[in-house]
Amino acid sequence: MFAFKVARRYLLSNPSQTLLLIAGVALGVTVFIFITALIAGLEVRLTEQVTGDSAHVSIEAPTRVARVLEAEVPVESVALVSTLQRKQIRDWPMVVDLLRNTDGVSAISPQISGSAFLVKGEAVSPLSVLGVEPDGVDAISQITSKIVDGTGQLRADGLLIGAKMAEEFGLQAGQAVLLRTERGVERQLTISGIFRTGLQSLDERVAFMSLQTARPLFALPEGVTNIEVKLSQPEDARDMAKFLGEATALRVTPWQEKNESLEDALKAQGQTGTMIQVFSLISIIIGIASALVLSAYRRRSEVGIMRAFGISGSFIIWVFLLQGLLIGLVGALVGCGAGYGLCVYLEGITKADGTSALPIAPEQGGYVAALVLTTLGAVIASIIPARNAAKVDPLEAIQQ
Amino acid sequence: MTHLLKATGIKKSFQNGEEETLVLKGIDVTLDNGELTALVGQSGSGKSTLLSIVGLLLRPTSGELEIAGERVDQLSERKRALFRNERLGFVFQFHHLLPDFTALENVAFPAAAPAGGISREMRERAEELLGRVGLKDRINFPATRLSGGQKQRVAIARALMNKPDLIIADEPTGNLDRESAETVLELMREVNQEDGATFLICTHDPEIARQCKRRLTLEDGLLKADEVMEGTEK
Repeated sequence: MFAFKVARRYLLSNPSQTLLLIAGVALGVTVFIFITALIAGLEVRLTEQVTGDSAHVSIEAPTRVARVLEAEVPVESVALVSTLQRKQIRDWPMVVDLLRNTDGVSAISPQISGSAFLVKGEAVSPLSVLGVEPDGVDAISQITSKIVDGTGQLRADGLLIGAKMAEEFGLQAGQAVLLRTERGVERQLTISGIFRTGLQSLDERVAFMSLQTARPLFALPEGVTNIEVKLSQPEDARDMAKFLGEATALRVTPWQEKNESLEDALKAQGQTGTMIQVFSLISIIIGIASALVLSAYRRRSEVGIMRAFGISGSFIIWVFLLQGLLIGLVGALVGCGAGYGLCVYLEGITKADGTSALPIAPEQGGYVAALVLTTLGAVIASIIPARNAAKVDPLEAIQQ
Repeated sequence: MTHLLKATGIKKSFQNGEEETLVLKGIDVTLDNGELTALVGQSGSGKSTLLSIVGLLLRPTSGELEIAGERVDQLSERKRALFRNERLGFVFQFHHLLPDFTALENVAFPAAAPAGGISREMRERAEELLGRVGLKDRINFPATRLSGGQKQRVAIARALMNKPDLIIADEPTGNLDRESAETVLELMREVNQEDGATFLICTHDPEIARQCKRRLTLEDGLLKADEVMEGTEK
């Protein structure tokens, strides 16, 4: 294509200006990629921090509401919901089966959760008790690997408590404590192990016991109160919750609903990133447009001569559009390379604990978007200079 | 007999604010194939305006213009450009070569741009033309490395590239030293005689006018004289 040859020749005729233009585009693309990778990395890290030791989807029995009695009752009456009877999922084994056969589910933990008081001598402290399957202690949170005293095994009368609670009560593994549940049931249990997760909410106020131990304590001989689920892709929690809610008719809550402030923060962060990306793109477009406007002005005489010997306006337009395309494409490719290199370098800078100092995800730099948008932007930027050039009056150029 | 060029009642006025200036006041002229015609006149006589109209770079205010039997004064811009490209050749006072291209590329440009590239035939023709103007050894020289006279010879070769019906030359030697000017003039005469190419040359140079077969003299927007030069045949 002859217009391509002319465009390339024009760019090569002034290498310093062309290099500066390409460098400007590459810089804009590098910023675009850095911001995209940083925001993606931040989102991954924040999500991991929030969801790492908690469930992605929680399944509970639906909330019971009072209903109007019908049929033979002569006056309108309201059936009172028993507050003594616990909400429970009676057919939980079926739900667990469904979950086992659902793609994307990585861990399942049927639980009996309730409130209790830990009593040791005169000291009494409230705590949340989670009754889990003996081999399911680690399903949602990594507990057994964080045992600092005793064992992670859940025996029939065993209890795992957090390190902070143990310190508060001066407890050690093997010691006996009295547990009084919200149902008023009391039972003496043995501290099987003490864990330290680093999460204050867990270490201070949560205790684990086996499901079988929890049943009499919370008056649930068959059912469970909730089923906690982990997913291989936490971001799919909303879709999964919708699917499970429809499939089981239970109340299913994705982690995002329990952490709305995080979601708002991620949204705001994403919007900020988009703004920076848009401004990077706009600055690229303005840079290319202004350079090509100058170039078209500088070449008015040549373009006028071409027009004089009958070269069409569309040929002239192509020459300038192709200049924009070449600058955009080469600049974007260089910028993608530089952006990736920068992200990899920054990812390699680690803190003392070996984790990356900057939460950056080089593989999520939006390279294709950067390449396509920049090239497209560069072509758009060259439309005005191209049209200006094509409108040059040949007579005016000859008389110059 | 069909004339190569037939201009009838060509008038051209320019609007300058509220004032209208009539530059051409009704020109009737014909050119036949193979003529080498000089267009002379003092500055402001309207010769450059007439040349621009004949070269389809400017539209007349009124009048009719036919070239090679085709009415061209009312063509659309796109068709005018196409006509200029295929049927007319231009040589300007300042060579106006494209500085980023070689001599050969400059010569081939009017044919290559519409075709999308320089074909083998175009290359051969451009080489032949450059040989003809005495620049065979400068074919791949960048335009910027040629002397003034050489550049003007390349411009003549470029004007001949698409085998035009009419070559319009505006002060083709006006920017050259005497020796280069004579070479360029001799070249145009040679092309005229050997190829039968038709030239309309606008000039201030009496020597060029003397060597042309015919001389048109403009004065104050009117054709004052149409002379066949002594020793030449119209």
